[in-house]
Amino acid sequence: MAVLLQSIFSGVLIGGVYALIGIGLTLIFGVMRVINFAQGELVMIGMYCTFFLFKLAGIDPFLSVVLTMPALFLLGAALQSTLINRVLDALPQNQILLTIGIGLVLSNTAMLAFTSDYRILSTTYSSSSVALGSVRLSTPLLYCFLITSAITGALYWFLARTDTGHAIRATAQDRDAAQLMGVNVRNMGVLAFGLGSALAGAAGALIAPTYYIFPQVGGAFTLKAFVVVVLGGMGSVVGATLGGVLIGMSESLAAVYIGSGMKELCVYVIFLLVLLLKPSGLLGKSRT
Amino acid sequence: MRVLLPWAIPALALALVPLFIQSPYALHIFILLFIAVALGESWNVLGGFAGQYSVGHAAWYGLGAYGAFILLQRKGIPPWFGVWAAVAIAVIIALAVGWITFRLRGPYFVLASIAVAEIIRLAALNWKILTNGAEGILGSDLPPLQIAGTMITDWNSKTPYYYLGLLMAVFCVAVNFAVKRSKLGYYLQAIREDQDAAHSLGIALTFYKNTALGISAACTALTGSFAAFYVSFIEPQGVFGIDVSIQMVLTCIIGGIGTVTGPLLGAVVLVLLSEWLRASLAQAHLLVYGVLVIAVILLMPDGFVGFIAQRLRRKAAER
Amino acid sequence: MILALLLAVSVRIGIINSVTGAEAPIGETLSNGYKLALEDLKKAGIEVEVISEDDTGKPQIALSALEKLVTRDNVTGIVGPYSSSSANPTVKAAEKNKVPILIPTAAKEELTRMSYKYVFRIASPANGLASAGLDATLALGPAKKLAVVYENTDFGTSTAKTAKEYAAKNGLQLVADEAYSKGSPDYRSTLTQVKSAEPDVVFMVSYVADAILLMRQARELALSPKAFIGGGAGFSQPQFVAERDISEGILASTHWTKDSGWPGAKEFAERYQKRFNVDPPYHSACAYESLRIMAECAAKANNDRDKTRACLRDGNWDGIMGPVKFVDYDGFQNQNKHPVLVTQVQQGKVVTVYPKENAVAKPIYPFKWK
Repeated sequence: MAVLLQSIFSGVLIGGVYALIGIGLTLIFGVMRVINFAQGELVMIGMYCTFFLFKLAGIDPFLSVVLTMPALFLLGAALQSTLINRVLDALPQNQILLTIGIGLVLSNTAMLAFTSDYRILSTTYSSSSVALGSVRLSTPLLYCFLITSAITGALYWFLARTDTGHAIRATAQDRDAAQLMGVNVRNMGVLAFGLGSALAGAAGALIAPTYYIFPQVGGAFTLKAFVVVVLGGMGSVVGATLGGVLIGMSESLAAVYIGSGMKELCVYVIFLLVLLLKPSGLLGKSRT
Repeated sequence: MRVLLPWAIPALALALVPLFIQSPYALHIFILLFIAVALGESWNVLGGFAGQYSVGHAAWYGLGAYGAFILLQRKGIPPWFGVWAAVAIAVIIALAVGWITFRLRGPYFVLASIAVAEIIRLAALNWKILTNGAEGILGSDLPPLQIAGTMITDWNSKTPYYYLGLLMAVFCVAVNFAVKRSKLGYYLQAIREDQDAAHSLGIALTFYKNTALGISAACTALTGSFAAFYVSFIEPQGVFGIDVSIQMVLTCIIGGIGTVTGPLLGAVVLVLLSEWLRASLAQAHLLVYGVLVIAVILLMPDGFVGFIAQRLRRKAAER
Repeated sequence: MILALLLAVSVRIGIINSVTGAEAPIGETLSNGYKLALEDLKKAGIEVEVISEDDTGKPQIALSALEKLVTRDNVTGIVGPYSSSSANPTVKAAEKNKVPILIPTAAKEELTRMSYKYVFRIASPANGLASAGLDATLALGPAKKLAVVYENTDFGTSTAKTAKEYAAKNGLQLVADEAYSKGSPDYRSTLTQVKSAEPDVVFMVSYVADAILLMRQARELALSPKAFIGGGAGFSQPQFVAERDISEGILASTHWTKDSGWPGAKEFAERYQKRFNVDPPYHSACAYESLRIMAECAAKANNDRDKTRACLRDGNWDGIMGPVKFVDYDGFQNQNKHPVLVTQVQQGKVVTVYPKENAVAKPIYPFKWK
């Protein structure tokens, strides 16, 4: 019983990180219908920023999020205006290939700049935990989960309560109609990609204390993010949140009850099943 | 026949190469080239002609590799028989996968293809009894090839691999030619251009897509088996990894998707680039791939071949 | 000494190493060892022309590298590669091409079990890592239950296999057998499983990054066996040792330590420290000695491959790795019967605690988190 509870709690905590990466991806897809294969690489850049801010300026990772997010926002906005914007009307397959190319450039530039050495970020609380009955919750993951919730909450508020947020949702719902209503859809695209990148950067900053950092770390996160987004429903922020937590839990439980080496396999099987049985995901709208 | 002439000359020239060049390293580069060409042309049948971009073709490559290897190591079946069995297994699984995934459109199909390849990779990693898991399988020496009592080769030099590789690359190019000019090719083109219109014209979408997948998977698996025997060692990440899939896609995109010469050009560019850059950029030769892909998508979506063809057309029109 | 008899000779040696890729940090420690060896060889009058190839951590590339070194660069002998998975196809090709190859650190047993004549290994095979670690622990106190946690790669699987065999032979009950896919951010479920089995000893096989994550999460979850043993690799690296919160008290099997008492070991460590600003792990020592031995033999054999092989086969050395002689035993061929040492991290320093003749400190037992 203790094992089951521990599994579930650990899974939920790590699911928060997956959710954050997924939310970024789903936002970009929702607004521009582009599946960003470089999302994981943006997380990687966030991780490196966090690492260097910690090593060189001694800033705690959970505090440096406020610096990393704007930096990644600018990077994302730049990528969108120079590259992504040019393929918005191209075949979706070509869009995917473009983002794959961007991902390759980002990860390999990082490799040239930082070498492929694994970097470890050690804080005083890197291996601390809080006891909740028989369950032990990792302190860094707990902070991570709390900050993720805060960011997600802020994002919901932004989308639901502000004019710009409404504009983004309008663009996501129907691009042409939004344009007719006077929304500058081109700017919305830049904003969405910037936001998506900022969220990826935040995820990188939050996970940096509990993982290790190397140029190719992005790939696995991108794939995880796809699963989260498809499960939750492409374009749905709430869906991605839910999807993240569910995937985190499934992974954790699979590791215990099926086998540590099999947990990724289970996640991909879930992915395939969702794609085949309910491609619009849990909360997505049915779309061809 | 006239059409085949421009192909026959380089093919013949390549066939004569080992008589003049003995350096094993040079032959090795040619073999890598043949493998890349074969893989590019194989992917092209599904991705280029049918317009179904699979970023999980490593699945068929790996199945070909593991199939033939396991048959040799466990049952002692020589590769020239084992390869066909491996190809058959790959095609059967591919058709099953196609049957369930072809209902997905565009990007969803891409994602599904990635998921399938990863599932197969993880299965190979965990099914230790069959595949030896992460430790991989080290190939034992190949039995000498004998036909009617005379020994053709004992596999101890690069030359037999060179000729086999050349044959395989030529075969895959020929398959592309055949498909492009056949009725199947027309149906695939229709599906690629507008799936719904094709469907309304009565073209059985899943059947033709599956045919393309079957051909594509067969050629890929064949190449996978060959590559496995050449390298003599396979492990799940090396043959099922997503980089293998991505490289196949890049070869076609950069060269020119949907053409017969495109993947060929793409393969030459990419193999020569990676060997040349290995000394200076090491693994970061992928950086150049990334830049090339971005450039191609933004500036010449028909790849190098399309770009060159466009230039030639313009020149011809100007006269 | 052989050195005194050699005139200034020039030899060509190929080195295959993981300079880039996931194993680059350990590859770097090997490169450093090679650098120091080259300097010493030069001092002894042996000019070594080294041709280095990067296998980027991939077996196929290691194989290509060997082909190139052997056919295009015409090296007399090869030292490397680093990892077991790269060594796998490489040794087979070396044997086929009749080029002597000396493996510095790769632990997979099969590498020297294939009746090959040209393949030599200086470090102990995987079973040595497991048995030394477990022997040391059993000598400290009684233990009944063993948990094995390892990455599902060549190195992890083969070393774990030998630990399981040891358990079967020595009456230890295997209560957990967890193979994980490396690179995961979360091992908590795996470790929770292990914790619920209440093992006395946890034997782990990982490279550095995973070793750190695993131990961090083990501490979080309060997994407290009587002893943690690391099977070489990650647990012996300075990066791991530097994580004071989690490395204190961890035992590790290793092929070399600076306080082992072998001739020149201490000086080598000091020299390495001064040059590279960090303590040398066993990889550097293995690399150093391997290159030294290969170059000496190549010089003696005047760059003839078969004579080099004969020199390796017949020679014996006594340097920083202690006595080295390549013999056939227990189904191994051309294997150096290298004694595996066990170290423990005490007060942030790595000290040898087993076997008794090399021990410099008393082991702390049972294990307690800081």
